[in-house]
Amino acid sequence: MTDGNTKASVKFDAVQKSFGSVKVLEEFNLEVDPGEFLVLLGASGSGKTTALRILSGLETPSAGRVHIGERDVTEVLPKYRDISMVFQSYALYPHKTVAENIGFPLKVKKLPKAEMDAAILDAAKQVQLEALLDRYPRELSGGQRQRVALARAIIRRPSVFLMDEPLSNLDAKLRGHMRAELKHMQGTLGITTIYVTHDQIEAMTLAHRVAVLEKGVLQQLASPSEIYNNPANLFVAQFIGSPAMNVIHGSLEGASFQTNGAKVKTRVKGQIAKAVAGVRPEDCSVTDPKKGTISGQIYTTELIGDHTLVTVNWGNDQIVVKAHKDFDGKQGDAVGVVLPPENLYIFDETSGERIR
Amino acid sequence: MSGAHTKFDLQNRGLLEKMFEPPAVGKMAPVAKIVVYSFLAIWSLFVLFPIYWVIITSFKDAAAVNQGPSYFPFVDFQPTLDAWRINFTADPYCDMAAIARQLYLLAHNSVAFVLSPVVTIPPMEPQICKIYLAFTNSVVISIISTIFCVAVGSMAAYALARIQYRPKFGNIMIFVLLIVGVILATTYAGVPWWMSSAVALALFFFLARALGRHFKMSLGNGDILFWMISQRILPPIVVVVPLYVMFQAVRLLDTHLALILLYAVANLPIVVWLMHDFFANLPIELEESAQLDGATRFGIFWEIVMPLTRPGLAATTLLILVLNWNEYLFAVFLSTVKVQTMPIMVAAKNTGEKGVLWWEMCAVTVVMIIPVIIMAVLLTRFISKGVLLGAVKG
Repeated sequence: MTDGNTKASVKFDAVQKSFGSVKVLEEFNLEVDPGEFLVLLGASGSGKTTALRILSGLETPSAGRVHIGERDVTEVLPKYRDISMVFQSYALYPHKTVAENIGFPLKVKKLPKAEMDAAILDAAKQVQLEALLDRYPRELSGGQRQRVALARAIIRRPSVFLMDEPLSNLDAKLRGHMRAELKHMQGTLGITTIYVTHDQIEAMTLAHRVAVLEKGVLQQLASPSEIYNNPANLFVAQFIGSPAMNVIHGSLEGASFQTNGAKVKTRVKGQIAKAVAGVRPEDCSVTDPKKGTISGQIYTTELIGDHTLVTVNWGNDQIVVKAHKDFDGKQGDAVGVVLPPENLYIFDETSGERIR
Repeated sequence: MSGAHTKFDLQNRGLLEKMFEPPAVGKMAPVAKIVVYSFLAIWSLFVLFPIYWVIITSFKDAAAVNQGPSYFPFVDFQPTLDAWRINFTADPYCDMAAIARQLYLLAHNSVAFVLSPVVTIPPMEPQICKIYLAFTNSVVISIISTIFCVAVGSMAAYALARIQYRPKFGNIMIFVLLIVGVILATTYAGVPWWMSSAVALALFFFLARALGRHFKMSLGNGDILFWMISQRILPPIVVVVPLYVMFQAVRLLDTHLALILLYAVANLPIVVWLMHDFFANLPIELEESAQLDGATRFGIFWEIVMPLTRPGLAATTLLILVLNWNEYLFAVFLSTVKVQTMPIMVAAKNTGEKGVLWWEMCAVTVVMIIPVIIMAVLLTRFISKGVLLGAVKG
């Protein structure tokens, strides 16, 4: 409310962080455009939360610089960075009412009472909390607490929003609902947002761009569709997508991938002794045993609703295929699976790099 | 077939089984109930009897006490108010006005003490009977030293819980050596103390900066905490004589300031230790969030941390208050006339020539017990549960 609503860019410049001998972030470079919704995606221990905490100033980098807008904030205290953060645990003050919680950032700034009340009401309206202003956090449901935390973050109109797995404590249905609200809110306010999550669906649905992190190294930074359709390496390919991409171990010889005594045509060419072929379940299809690229037995089938997941045993590998919801194969039936060459991703098993 | 022998018939249990089996999860078996409640009843009698005994003895006279034990007033002895009269009305200035005058005197004299380097204000002389003086002293000393102790101690505990300190071991050694140097220079070489301390302080900063980088070994917060609590490992009797000498050197014997300082310092480790635990258990996100929202460290401490650790703070305060109220050893060494406290008055009833005046002692003891009970009742109101409810998690 008080600060001019300036969208700020964010830049990590070769940021490193280690706790003792444990390297959490290695040479982390990232540029976030003003007004962008960027999601840091990674498993636990990937360094995504550390990156966020370094940006917030709650953690100092071992090396490298952090910029918000034009400003180098590496040595700036959190309170002077003009950011606000939503914590995974919400971090509401239990002895303060909802209104006092939301208004805390303004109270600290010693804003006049009338101005503060107006701002609190305004922020509360944005998250539909105006009826609960006199309650205490303990009297609220999980989703309502989440909204209080959000309202407290937006009341200040910071130049950057940080969110550390804000939806992970909610149940599945509420999470879906809050996800949509979050996206809408970010779209309306247009504040640069950095969002940390381990949930690839949240990443895909919310982000303008996704940064996939693993073991402190940035694996890929791209739009959700690019990440999905064009994964940079084996890790990203396996991390994104539900059910996960099928992975088949074998070797690449010329323009064919060889494994389990079968040959599969590929688009790429090369000679790699240990290669991995990846194919998404929805790109495969089940067919007659003789017609498929490969053939095997059905391990199990799962009806999801609008489709059936068929797991097929093939040599030492298992392949999951997304089939029609009326698929009626039984466990142990022989089936063929079509692996279309144009949807086959080939990776070097040792380096994990994609062969293009 | 499996598990047939574990089949359990709820209706047709034998009496013995019913006695020893709890009727439901979270309840006690009848036999266990009997055992536990009879133990509690006996324990309560054991604990409450001395208090009853003190109260009835304060209404006995010398004859009733010396005749041997008697338990019920009006039944096996005739209660009298003699002991109370001797303690509380016999001396001059034994009235509420005297207490008010004494409190004014304390305020007046402390202002005079603080201003003494600038202007000389003649201190007032006390006009109050012994027991009222002791009571006033006890109240003033224990409350002020408790406030002081809890305020300083909880801030120290908070700092230890939230800030990482890494003092270099070498620097600590330098500090200790310099202090030894100061003592030697002052006592044996006749250097004025302020000069040697100033030189030592300058030397310390110089050496710590110059050599500090080369020291590898450093201590952590855990070591500092242990160092603090280790000061309570020594039995107080060991330090009482050095303390006497110290307070004599600074001419603070028989002053309120001496006891207030001493009590505060002596109990500081307990406060730090207890409060550290309460602070360390607070979810740190609350403070981090406040930090991001622009609150200062003191703002966070007063607005967020303090209200949430109120139960712990109340419990600690109560504990320290009781410890100070009952303290005898330091008081008996450091006070002569003006700052005698209630425990000393109790002990004083063990006279040389007339033996122990049990009835008078008990009257003083009763007066000493009452404030503690009031404090406990007042402070337990703050020791409520569930302050942290709704802070984190969904």
